[in-house]
Amino acid sequence: MKRIIFSLLIIVLMAGAGQAKVDLVTLPTRETVQLTIYNSADMTLVRESRALTLKDGENKLQFSWANTLIDPTSLEMLPKANEDKIDIADLTYPPRVQNLGLWNIESGVSGKVPVEISYLTSGLSWRAFYMGTLTEDEEMMRLQGYVRVTNNSGEDYENAQTRLIVGKVHILDEIAELARRQYPYGRPGEGIAPPMAPAPSTRGRMDDKRRSFALAEEAVMRSPKEITKEGLSEYFLYTIEGKETIPTGWSKRLLSFEADEVPVVNLYKYEEERYGASVVRFLSFKNDKEHELGETPIPGGMLKVYRNAGNEGHLSYTGQSSFKYIPVDEDVELNLGAVADVAVKSKIMDFETDNYEFDRRGNVSGWDEIRTFEIEVKNTRDIGVKVEIKRNFNTSYWKLTRSGDFGEFEQVDMDTVKFTLELKPRSAKKFEYVLRTYHDTRTDDWR
Amino acid sequence: MNGKRNRLMAIVLLLMVSAVSQGRIKLVALPERAATVIRLDNPRATLIEEERVLTLQKGLNKVDFSWKAVSIDADSIRLRALDHPGNVTLLNVSYPPDEAALVWEISSDGDYAEKVRISYLLSNIDRLITYKAIADKAETAVDLKSYLVLRNFSGEDFDKARVLLDYGESFEQGIDHEETKQMLFLKASKVPITKIWTFDAAKLPWDPEQLENRNVGIPVSYRIVNNSQSGLGEFSLWGGKARIFQDDGHESTIFLGEDVTSMVPVGEKTELYIGDSRDIVVTQRKMEETQINKRYNNDKSPRLVLYDTDEIITAKIENFKDSPAVLTMIQHIPGQWDMKKCNMTYKKKDANTLEFEITLPARTENGPATKELTMHYNRRNLRPGVDIRPMPTPMPTMIEPIRR
Repeated sequence: MKRIIFSLLIIVLMAGAGQAKVDLVTLPTRETVQLTIYNSADMTLVRESRALTLKDGENKLQFSWANTLIDPTSLEMLPKANEDKIDIADLTYPPRVQNLGLWNIESGVSGKVPVEISYLTSGLSWRAFYMGTLTEDEEMMRLQGYVRVTNNSGEDYENAQTRLIVGKVHILDEIAELARRQYPYGRPGEGIAPPMAPAPSTRGRMDDKRRSFALAEEAVMRSPKEITKEGLSEYFLYTIEGKETIPTGWSKRLLSFEADEVPVVNLYKYEEERYGASVVRFLSFKNDKEHELGETPIPGGMLKVYRNAGNEGHLSYTGQSSFKYIPVDEDVELNLGAVADVAVKSKIMDFETDNYEFDRRGNVSGWDEIRTFEIEVKNTRDIGVKVEIKRNFNTSYWKLTRSGDFGEFEQVDMDTVKFTLELKPRSAKKFEYVLRTYHDTRTDDWR
Repeated sequence: MNGKRNRLMAIVLLLMVSAVSQGRIKLVALPERAATVIRLDNPRATLIEEERVLTLQKGLNKVDFSWKAVSIDADSIRLRALDHPGNVTLLNVSYPPDEAALVWEISSDGDYAEKVRISYLLSNIDRLITYKAIADKAETAVDLKSYLVLRNFSGEDFDKARVLLDYGESFEQGIDHEETKQMLFLKASKVPITKIWTFDAAKLPWDPEQLENRNVGIPVSYRIVNNSQSGLGEFSLWGGKARIFQDDGHESTIFLGEDVTSMVPVGEKTELYIGDSRDIVVTQRKMEETQINKRYNNDKSPRLVLYDTDEIITAKIENFKDSPAVLTMIQHIPGQWDMKKCNMTYKKKDANTLEFEITLPARTENGPATKELTMHYNRRNLRPGVDIRPMPTPMPTMIEPIRR
């Protein structure tokens, strides 16, 4: 439905009398329209081109947007020819009329003039989501990235060039809220006017649209569209090939990228303070060339992971994980939740205290505590896994004086270490470490 | 007035004909308003000046000035005779009860058609400034446009008025009640900008690994200086909302973000926060914090009374962008401290704030460009339970002494 309406009032000033003659001209529809849709905020930049027929002299152009979600303060019109002869004197929001703007244009030419009109609207959105299909040995994953574009703007944008922005944009006001203001810039001395116009409802209109949209869809499905990606400032711009028609109330899913064989690491993590006693499974890979990726960052979204089961193309569902924005060359770790088939057990095998110090009264003023931990890691799966175990000590006065069967560890920060192990299918590993912690006056001797 | 509202200023001229006559004589022809000026140079209040011609008779004249449904500060109303300032004297002003009106008592030494200027502060009429900037693809400059937005909700229609700002030429503009008008009033092309990435350790999380699936965005700003090198610098830039776009290289633009700038005096700069970078990742960790140089009291069970700390902080900075960047990193060390060792140079912004300017090359084929800051410092003379800061806690607001 057309909700954005233009009309051109040509006011020709009669000589002498100073009386205005008003002509109302119906405008041609938009010739092209481009949508740049954001996902960090409910916001879309719309740019459309139309051809105005201007008369030499003063012209008034009326633009109305009832039942849309346009931010009227974002409206801008620029002539694309004879720029030096066309002066857009002002944009007036007339009194006691809502959703209406009036451009006063001084033109030094008469005839057709192409103009570009841009504005911000809310109601269009997009999100990324992913499907991962693991091979049976879980060493490779087929990764498909999708974007889903939804139009709830109240306006049908037909044959629109559709672009998506990946990035976190700083905005001050919600566009939807600006769109509902009674006065575009509010009133002096007040914050924000209470919402006046109700949001457009998209219910009950679906049926009329279904047929035409289905036809459009059919034409689109013949060949999946390419999405080109390029970096701009801190954001990424995705441009969907060709034109899209997404009527209000509808959404559309498009394939963004596909990588057939992404090598993945089955990473399991154990950290009592964070995950409790369970082991949490992660799928790990890197957004780089070796992993068939790395051309552009991957926007955050939900990933559903499946695993091939049997030879007939059956699938089993492994789990899902939402992940954050992944820059190029960054590691991805997808949390698939707690598991039972890889287990870590931590036990204190020995405990003693030592090195007591006493004050002048003979009271204990310092001591050491020495604990021997035994960590047992079991992989009951039929594939190899990598296990990361983090240990937090709650003090910075500690020493690992001996590290049992397993020697390698890495200090993460002042009171955390990390052990990393690789386990073969259906195998177990066991290691010990001895932790000495220093208490009260004994901390003086820590170094 | 062409059917327009003019709630203001029914001006009625009353003449005190004699002592006997108590009645007010209404003049049929009300003096028309002419030469109206709307002064918007003070952001706190709008001053209206208008000229009218009063027909004064020799002797005492009473002039009624009333207003309905408009908000005039009655104490702000002034009257000034323009033709015969020496011969026309305003004696006093009376305010009638329960009425938005006043009565001027004017003494005149002759019969004059006197042009007067009436000025007053009118509420609910003001102006806003908004900015629109389009950055080039390389983000080195912006084409800047500034719009003046007049908002009139005063209750009064202004058919034609001279509008004055604190700078620039005045211009003629009519504006009706409840009308908003947006006009372009400043255009500057190729205004140089500096792009800034800022990591403030007091504001952003230190370790992104500790966050479940959440990116830490590094705030990105554009710095613009209001001086002649920028093609600006002629007057202060008023505060207002700025929307920033970028040329996308396809004859179109993308919206980068928006921020509010406060007023920028000539020679000063403003920084507009446009959005967050997720391609620069900072992982900051405290690798050590221990107590040293401990002093105990002489109690039989000695109590710790004074100590220093020995602390190491590391911050790994990774640039995943395929372009270089300069990251401003802000670190805070409370209290008294000495830097033992630091592998990067810093500027001491104040007693407890350190600013590092870290140049990051672009990502290469081998991966992100990585730098690591290590600060090894001692905090000095800490006392358990005692918090001594360089900045003393502010005194409670002084109460104005009572004048007698």
